[in-house]
Amino acid sequence: MTGPIRLARQTTVAVCQTLLEIEPLIVSLGEDLLVVMRRSAAQPATRLVAVVDDAGHLVGVLPILRLAESVIARVVPESLMADIADVADVARFGHAVEARTVSDVMLEPASIRPSATLGEAFRLMHHRRISGLYVVDDDGRPTGYLDLLELAVAYVDALEGRSPQPDS
Amino acid sequence: MDVTVAAIVFLVTYALIATDRLDKTIAALLGGVAMVVLRVIDQAQAFLAIDFNVIFLLAGMMILAGILRRTGFFQWLAIRSVKIADGDPFRLLLVLSVVAAVLSAFLDNVTTVVLLAPVTLYIATTLRVSPFPFLVSEILASNIGGTATLIGDPPNILIGSASGLDFVAFLGTMAPAAILVFVAFVVTVRLFFRGALEVHAEVREAVLALDESEVIADPRLLRVSMLVIGVTLVGFLVHGPLGYEPATIALLGAAVLMLVARIDAETVLREVEWPTLFFFVGLFMLVEGIVQVGIVDALARGLFELTAGDQGITTLGLLWLSAIASAIVDNIPYTATMIPVVRGLGAEGLAIEPLWWALALGACLGGNATIIGASANVVVANLAGRAGHPITFRAFLPYGVVVVLESLVISTVYLWLRFLA
Repeated sequence: MTGPIRLARQTTVAVCQTLLEIEPLIVSLGEDLLVVMRRSAAQPATRLVAVVDDAGHLVGVLPILRLAESVIARVVPESLMADIADVADVARFGHAVEARTVSDVMLEPASIRPSATLGEAFRLMHHRRISGLYVVDDDGRPTGYLDLLELAVAYVDALEGRSPQPDS
Repeated sequence: MDVTVAAIVFLVTYALIATDRLDKTIAALLGGVAMVVLRVIDQAQAFLAIDFNVIFLLAGMMILAGILRRTGFFQWLAIRSVKIADGDPFRLLLVLSVVAAVLSAFLDNVTTVVLLAPVTLYIATTLRVSPFPFLVSEILASNIGGTATLIGDPPNILIGSASGLDFVAFLGTMAPAAILVFVAFVVTVRLFFRGALEVHAEVREAVLALDESEVIADPRLLRVSMLVIGVTLVGFLVHGPLGYEPATIALLGAAVLMLVARIDAETVLREVEWPTLFFFVGLFMLVEGIVQVGIVDALARGLFELTAGDQGITTLGLLWLSAIASAIVDNIPYTATMIPVVRGLGAEGLAIEPLWWALALGACLGGNATIIGASANVVVANLAGRAGHPITFRAFLPYGVVVVLESLVISTVYLWLRFLA
């Protein structure tokens, strides 16, 4: 890419992806949570794990916090029990306690196409209450990762006149 | 004309509530307001029919339970149960059932079962057994425990307010019946689940590692909550002789606990189950419609003639009818409807007190028959399903039906010996 990247609501996901250059963390459905944890610790900038099936299609995502909860639930379950207030909390705790593989705790896939805009990506992350999104190709295979925090920092930098520059 | 309109509004509302076609609070409010809009009753009659003793007793108890749940008390008690049972799964099932029953006698059943559930799920996973026996037992025990006191279950709150029977009267009559039913329940769950809960000694050690002190979120709040709730329960014991209604005691307890808990009122009141309170408001208005046009009196006369005015047949018939109805439809609207019917039967010349107890026992215990029979059942089924351990209607039914049948046999003998022999 030559020249400054112009970052704005309408900037495409493909452009943002080039700007951030964060490695996706892709695991399979049956992967052991402890293995995923080790891989995740080695790649701290990726705060959302992509879960794929045998054909490589994105079938779920796993936020790091949810991954951590499954460890906490095994080691010190009392700390999670103390925070339980309603049915949703109980169900979440029940999953965390029993979870052994990625498929036990993963959430619905959270993905976006390269042609979508930055505004759409922010809206989707806000709606799903997750801190990242996977960029997928036409077959639903992950090709890149957008991180909410990194994206927000880049956007603020752009607004403040540092490179990359906003459109308006 | 008014009779037809009132009957249609009532039946449509009941059908909407029973079939879950519409949120039950919205259905009850629409039905109640329809009675006014269609001029079956006027607004003054509708509003006068709202029993604020019931509304504020519920609200007060919701506030007390809402603050207590912030302390970690329920989780603490569940972990203590694990220690008391020494990690033995069947003994633990019994201890958790006792805890569920006793807590439900004084606090909201749903709060009790929801906050016992996390420890239950953890224990089942660690012991490598299904959580099904534990969760089903907690549901059944919670509904049995709720039967024991005036504040234990919404039907009792409704009946207590309408009948003028005080907390001590409920405790003296309903608690012995509930204890007998609970003993039979314990024998039954032993037959049901004993074989399903065999585990190796080493996994028992794992659950004993739980530390109950770590779930106490706020020790000071726990102390003041226990003190205020304890004093409030003493207040219930003496509300009759002192000439106060239970709602006054509950509101006083709630206001004092809000004061000493140092939690702002807005935060506490946000946890009040307003949909439940408005459900009651709608029901009171709805039932007043069919009372004012004479439908309830006609129903009472019909029942009186059907039983030929026999006290025993009417009382025991009401017990079984109430249990069957409560297994199928929500026991709150059923009880709200039957209260004026019981009053009518009293007016026909029957002794009214045995009828109140028959209605209370039937409505509370009948809720155990199906997974949709009471709020606690529905909520546990929901959370179990979401946690990956669905409790289906069919899976629950055999346990529920057996426990309800033995509950009804015990209640029949109890009522007969105590009031009818």
